[in-house]
Amino acid sequence: MRNLKIIKNVKLKKSSKFLILLLTSILVGTANAAIFYSLTMQPQVTVSTPVIKFSEAPDHPGGTVNDAWCCLTAKSYPNATLTYEKAVYLNNTDSENSHSFRLRHVGITPANGYSVVGNWTSIKFLVYNSSSYVFSLNYTVSLTDWILEPSGGVTGYYSIPASTGWWIRLETLSPATATEGKVCNIQIAVDVE
Amino acid sequence: MLLPELFALLSSDLFLLLSLLTCLLEERFPKAIPYIYQVAALMGFGHLLVSKMFLTVFDEDLRFWYNFFYLAVGLANVVAVNLYLAVSKKTWMLAKVWSASVTFPTVFISIFFVYNYGYLQGATFPLLTVDLILILSVAILGIAVAVLLSPKLLRRR
Repeated sequence: MRNLKIIKNVKLKKSSKFLILLLTSILVGTANAAIFYSLTMQPQVTVSTPVIKFSEAPDHPGGTVNDAWCCLTAKSYPNATLTYEKAVYLNNTDSENSHSFRLRHVGITPANGYSVVGNWTSIKFLVYNSSSYVFSLNYTVSLTDWILEPSGGVTGYYSIPASTGWWIRLETLSPATATEGKVCNIQIAVDVE
Repeated sequence: MLLPELFALLSSDLFLLLSLLTCLLEERFPKAIPYIYQVAALMGFGHLLVSKMFLTVFDEDLRFWYNFFYLAVGLANVVAVNLYLAVSKKTWMLAKVWSASVTFPTVFISIFFVYNYGYLQGATFPLLTVDLILILSVAILGIAVAVLLSPKLLRRR
């Protein structure tokens, strides 16, 4: 109690009080600003539709086509090239800006080194615009290995104009000795800039 | 995009300002007031901390309302101090200065942020309030220009 009285009787000058309050104000203000800043830096993930999206084309071989991904279940005939002229559309849904995209090889089964790879001669994904061929990603077989073209399995970026639809032409070919029922799975990514 | 926590930050700074100003004018206020305002500012820190901890739990409406309530309390204190100086202490000149330098700017800035936040959230405001704000702005601008051109206006009785 006596100590409390001593503290109570301490007379602080106005300037000292102000200085103490100023220092605590700076402290509180800085802490508030730091917390607010950290709040503004919270990451946000907004669900939106892709700018370049897939849609089903007239010669769709089968499988699922969604906005952001598609799964094509194509066939391949021995000793004859099977062409799906318009397998799937790639549409730039941005009405104001053009966007660049490329095709990038992700994975393929059966993998290199297995004799079953010899059941295919080539599988080609050719991109066309309304008037002509633009670029392609090709898989050709050499004995038991897949040869990717362009090498590395990554095409260059190509600009698709605003509100424009391009399509992928799919060409498949198997050798005369191919075994019926063999399945090949290819995964390709469409990178959009 | 504005976060509703901006109101808590603004109000907390208002309390800090009130704390310092009431300390400077300590002869006219009870001695505990500056410290009470410091504690009130610390409550703003608590508001922000709670928002940060429960950001994923609280929805935006809830965050807006508790931050807006805190801002309303801060503004009410600014106005209350103004009234206290004018009515209770009868220090008219000080009350006028307080009104022009503290009450009006803080209320105006707060209204600006609240409207801006509402606009970004897609809220529609009654046309009448927008009209009133415009009329008030024009009136203040007119007074300011008049005083600027003829400072003697202030000295006339």
